[in-house]
Amino acid sequence: MKEVHHKADEHHGAHEKTYKYGMVVDLDKCTGCGACMVACMAENNLSFRKDNSDRLRSNLWMRVYKISNGRPFPDTDISFIPRPCQHCEGEGHHHTPCVSVCPATATDYSHETGIVSQVYTRCFGCRYCMAACPYHVRVFNWWDPTWPKGMEKYLNPDVSVRMRGVVEKCSFCYHRYQRAKNKAYAEGRRELHEDEYQTACTQACPAGAITFGDLKNPEHKVHKLKKSRYAFRLLEKLGTNPKIYYVSTRDWGRKAGEVYAGEEPKGVTHVTHA
Amino acid sequence: MKLDRRTFIELAVGFSAGAGGGFMLTPVNWKLMDDMTIWSQELWPRYQLGGLKGRLPQQGKVTHADSVCNLCPGGCGITVRKVGDRATKIEGREGYPVNDGGICPLGAAGLQLLYGPWRIPSPLKRIGKRGSGNFEKISWDEAINKVVQKLGNLRQKGQSHTVACILGSDEGTVPRLFDRFLAAYGSPNFIRTASAEDTYELALGLMQGTTGSVGYDLERANFILSFGSGLIEGWGSPVRVIQAHSTWRSGDLKDRATVVQIEPRLSNTAAKADNWYPINPGTEAALALGLAHVIIKESLYNVDFIGKHTFGFEDWSDSSGKTYMGFKRLVRTEYTPEAVSKITGLPAKKILTLARAFAKAKRPVAVWGRGKGTVSGSLYECMAVHALNALTGNINKPGGVSARPQVATRSWPEVERDATAWSGSRRPRIDGAGSNRYPLTRYLPDRWSQVMNGGKAGAIQALLVHGADPYYTTLDSAAVAKAFEAIPFVVSFSTCLDETAYHADLILPNHHYLERWEDIPTPVGLQKPILGMLKPVVSPQFDTRHAGDVLMTIAKSMGGSVASAFPWDDYETLLKETMGDNWGTLEKAGYIVNEGYKPSAWSKAFGTPSGKFEFYITAFDQAGVKIGKDVGYLPHYEPVQPEGNPATYPLILIPTELMRLADGAVGNPPFCTKTLEETELKKNDLFVEVNPKTAADYGLSEGHHAMLETAKGKAKVLVHLFEGIMPGVIGIPKGLGHAAYDDYLAGKGVSANSLIGVVEDPVTGLSAAWGVRAKLTRV
Amino acid sequence: MSTTEEKEQTVAENEQEKGGDEQAAEVAPVKPGTWRFLIPIAAFALGFMSHFSLGWVILPPILYAEKQQPIDFSHKLHVDEVGDCEGCHYFREDGSFSGIPELENCAECHEEAMGEDPEEAKLITEYIEPGKEIPWLIYARQPQCVFFSHAAHVKMGEMDCAICHGPIGDSDHVRPYQYNRLTKYSRDIWGWNIAGLSKNGWAYLKQADNSGEIKIEHAARMKMDDCAECHMEKRGVHEACFVCHK
Repeated sequence: MKEVHHKADEHHGAHEKTYKYGMVVDLDKCTGCGACMVACMAENNLSFRKDNSDRLRSNLWMRVYKISNGRPFPDTDISFIPRPCQHCEGEGHHHTPCVSVCPATATDYSHETGIVSQVYTRCFGCRYCMAACPYHVRVFNWWDPTWPKGMEKYLNPDVSVRMRGVVEKCSFCYHRYQRAKNKAYAEGRRELHEDEYQTACTQACPAGAITFGDLKNPEHKVHKLKKSRYAFRLLEKLGTNPKIYYVSTRDWGRKAGEVYAGEEPKGVTHVTHA
Repeated sequence: MKLDRRTFIELAVGFSAGAGGGFMLTPVNWKLMDDMTIWSQELWPRYQLGGLKGRLPQQGKVTHADSVCNLCPGGCGITVRKVGDRATKIEGREGYPVNDGGICPLGAAGLQLLYGPWRIPSPLKRIGKRGSGNFEKISWDEAINKVVQKLGNLRQKGQSHTVACILGSDEGTVPRLFDRFLAAYGSPNFIRTASAEDTYELALGLMQGTTGSVGYDLERANFILSFGSGLIEGWGSPVRVIQAHSTWRSGDLKDRATVVQIEPRLSNTAAKADNWYPINPGTEAALALGLAHVIIKESLYNVDFIGKHTFGFEDWSDSSGKTYMGFKRLVRTEYTPEAVSKITGLPAKKILTLARAFAKAKRPVAVWGRGKGTVSGSLYECMAVHALNALTGNINKPGGVSARPQVATRSWPEVERDATAWSGSRRPRIDGAGSNRYPLTRYLPDRWSQVMNGGKAGAIQALLVHGADPYYTTLDSAAVAKAFEAIPFVVSFSTCLDETAYHADLILPNHHYLERWEDIPTPVGLQKPILGMLKPVVSPQFDTRHAGDVLMTIAKSMGGSVASAFPWDDYETLLKETMGDNWGTLEKAGYIVNEGYKPSAWSKAFGTPSGKFEFYITAFDQAGVKIGKDVGYLPHYEPVQPEGNPATYPLILIPTELMRLADGAVGNPPFCTKTLEETELKKNDLFVEVNPKTAADYGLSEGHHAMLETAKGKAKVLVHLFEGIMPGVIGIPKGLGHAAYDDYLAGKGVSANSLIGVVEDPVTGLSAAWGVRAKLTRV
Repeated sequence: MSTTEEKEQTVAENEQEKGGDEQAAEVAPVKPGTWRFLIPIAAFALGFMSHFSLGWVILPPILYAEKQQPIDFSHKLHVDEVGDCEGCHYFREDGSFSGIPELENCAECHEEAMGEDPEEAKLITEYIEPGKEIPWLIYARQPQCVFFSHAAHVKMGEMDCAICHGPIGDSDHVRPYQYNRLTKYSRDIWGWNIAGLSKNGWAYLKQADNSGEIKIEHAARMKMDDCAECHMEKRGVHEACFVCHK
């Protein structure tokens, strides 16, 4: 047994390699079809209700916003912004907004993966994180989730079913990371290939608008894509250092995402308040 | 010793202290605290996760099963992730020739339809009033006997022709089985529900002399001119077109394809397009001809193709010396940019620029079929758009349009009809298709109800519906409801409780598409022949049966020549036999694609009387179509007037189609309804889009309730101000307004089909309606 | 005299009577008070002892209910036949762990009876023939909020199965499955020592088997603390909750 432990110890340090998982979303390709939203709901056991039309109460981890340039007919233009959790890294004296306010350490920033976690068994539902998140990615379970009889059969055993009274959000399909790790381990690897770990929305997107990978790894597609001259991040001014990059050749679209913190852009047709 | 007060206190305090101390020194109190925490978090009755206790998802062996999606005519390949025997996720199938890994929201929500409460658990017999939703479970034997008896009686009475079948498709073994059943039974009334295919097939047949559906080589096109097609909103095979759209959007900006959208409303397609040209609704044909004018005038057309392979471009004369006007003269005289500008509202300069850009592009393609292509549309409009493809020599070329065949399957033995079958099949069709008036048209799905309501109430004595929801999808809902009321016996083969099933007398539930075998012919709009195979991914969840088997059982129970028309043991045997040598591949790989397929060369491509592409349709005379005027033989603009008096109904209502809202035979699953914007649905109220200017004229602002009224009906709606819609036009999303299904869909919004009626195309009889006149008043 | 006064008088008289009785009973010459201090001590001792034993002896078994496994299975016999754990408890291609074998694994050998054991006959008649999965009770099942990777521990960490599961391969019989009445968790999660002091979840097995000493240094219970302790020790970092929680 001693020997076993020695062997294990040898590996210690070998797996200290860190990743910075993130996304680049090509808004020119995004058609607003909503496949990412549905794939996310199906993958992550999101519940639904008979009336989901109230966005304040509706739980969506991935939400596609529709924004408009606000100009009158026929110069109107619209664009879509798929918005998962931005998995903010924070920089300098800025921290991941939700993590820094959570009194229960129910949410944490992982320096190994760059993923902001949400642990439902720790969360007691104070909703500070919701107030802190500038992207409205966090949703509160106002009700216990219900499924019509028989429908629980499609639930994914890799993702917990959340109870009433806790906050939930996008996890970058962390269970898929774990699944991929499992496979790698079984094959005696520690490194994951780019295509081994992809989020459900990335996989589903019929337009191929979402690219997911390790932002630090030059071999991953996101590494190059995020350097596009048309790339931007949402509310960059806040210093949240989010890991979702957007690419849009529409000037007004980039502007709407970038300068929100400074000045309200005109024509955001879909706001989160009722 | 007496237990006095002091002793009592001494005893009590001493004992308590001892008990407390003693207990504190045991592990049980800490253990209990831990247990209580777990209990309160996970098992406290208030937190039992919606009654999920004991039903929480269990781990198991993960497997993946490939099949094909059957929720729309898109025919995408899917991979179902299974844990144990549960299907837990539907994903796009990597490498599938239609969708290569992509999936649409409806396809991704397919498991909600598999496991949902809207499934029909067993054969049902209606017990209450029709439409009350009261059904009683019956056995399969009883259910099948009921059909056999009813159909047997009708046949005996010589009324076999009063039986009709409505299906969503006429290709593939199951629709063909229904067709065969009617042939053997003795009825001409096989009806396919409406789609843009109805008209496009006719247009191709007339102009190119081909059979088969249209195929667009979108991936290789580099200039896409869409006449109102919702390219990224469900038109064609949705995922495939969205992927083509991404191809257009890839690479350096200067190398990217150009997309131009012609549509009165800023749809998603219009928003994503490089140019959006809003034109007056219903004037698409005029614009197409205006573009043709510029292309011809500036000699930008493909001289080789037009010169050698077309007929009727120039004026021509027949053997008697009579001169006929060619397409060129018509377009040159009638459709100048100025004239077209007046009709369409688009500045003449823009028409010029667009025409030049289109004609000069390397591989331009003009695309037709409004929205998702769920309505038939106008024949001349389709021909006018298709003429643009001809002008650019874009027929049967890479990046172009072709009439695409199906993967060949083995034919079935001829039906040996008895006398009843012969006489029944020769009777005129209920919908009038193929009659002297509409000799070309095969099905008139929006017309049968009008015919019945127009004094032939007894025309259908029994109706079998499979793979379609005509009660919901047919235009003019009130007329359809009335016609249904007059049919004494309606049988639905639906898997889910859709509108038609809800109003049926008998439901014989088919297996869900993840529970059955069935061949899926080439998806709509694809340029190469593909045959996909539905495979059972999970075992049947309810007491359902394959519609093919049920129909064969019915036929066999009827005996005689009806029975002998079905010599197969069961559906699976038939399927294997029909697929022939392909069966092995289909069973293993799940699909067959003819990758090497190339459309014929121009010299051999056209089966028209002239052997060429015909601008002037000679087939009209051959078929006996009555064309009043010379111009009627050519693609031309003939306004399709929206129903309603402009004085009473000053506005124009057009249906809009959303990718997130299924509006066909499949009801929107809860996941998709959840994705609807808060400016599309609020509680149970549907929003209509109105331009702020128009809204101001009627004193309406954002979120106001309003009464929307047309000649066909009225409904209370909410107003959403949208700068992207043309003033004077109202947009209403299609897909809501269900009464069937259940609380997740029923009662939400209104059905656009209840407000829009049929406007018959003069040549085809199909509905050419693109909208309706309407009135909007504040309430 | 008012009614109130009357009452007061009666009460006083009664008290006198009582006092009289007491004095009459106390014939013994023991001075009152010399033993009195024993009363609270005795009461304390009684309370202490009763609750101490309640907590250590009486309650623990009550906290758990017991179920028998559907079939009395001999691991020892099978390990001898198959050779190692991996023959039945294997990693799937996707890296997930099969856990308890499915019926088809059993049927590979037991399609027909190999011996005359009544338990084997039960396996064949009750499960294999009707094709019904055996409802094994899983000693090591974690709650649904936990993600556990066998691959990470066994393949990468190279930990022996017995470190967590004990020397179950040496057992001739399956032990009863005990579960907490309140939480419904298997007793192995908390561990068989009610104090949570034992380092393993399989002490019971050792006793029942009496198969001699088994040297496993770092056997663990299966509570979160146990995971955390080892992770802290081996990986030297305070792990994020998300590594195990889902």
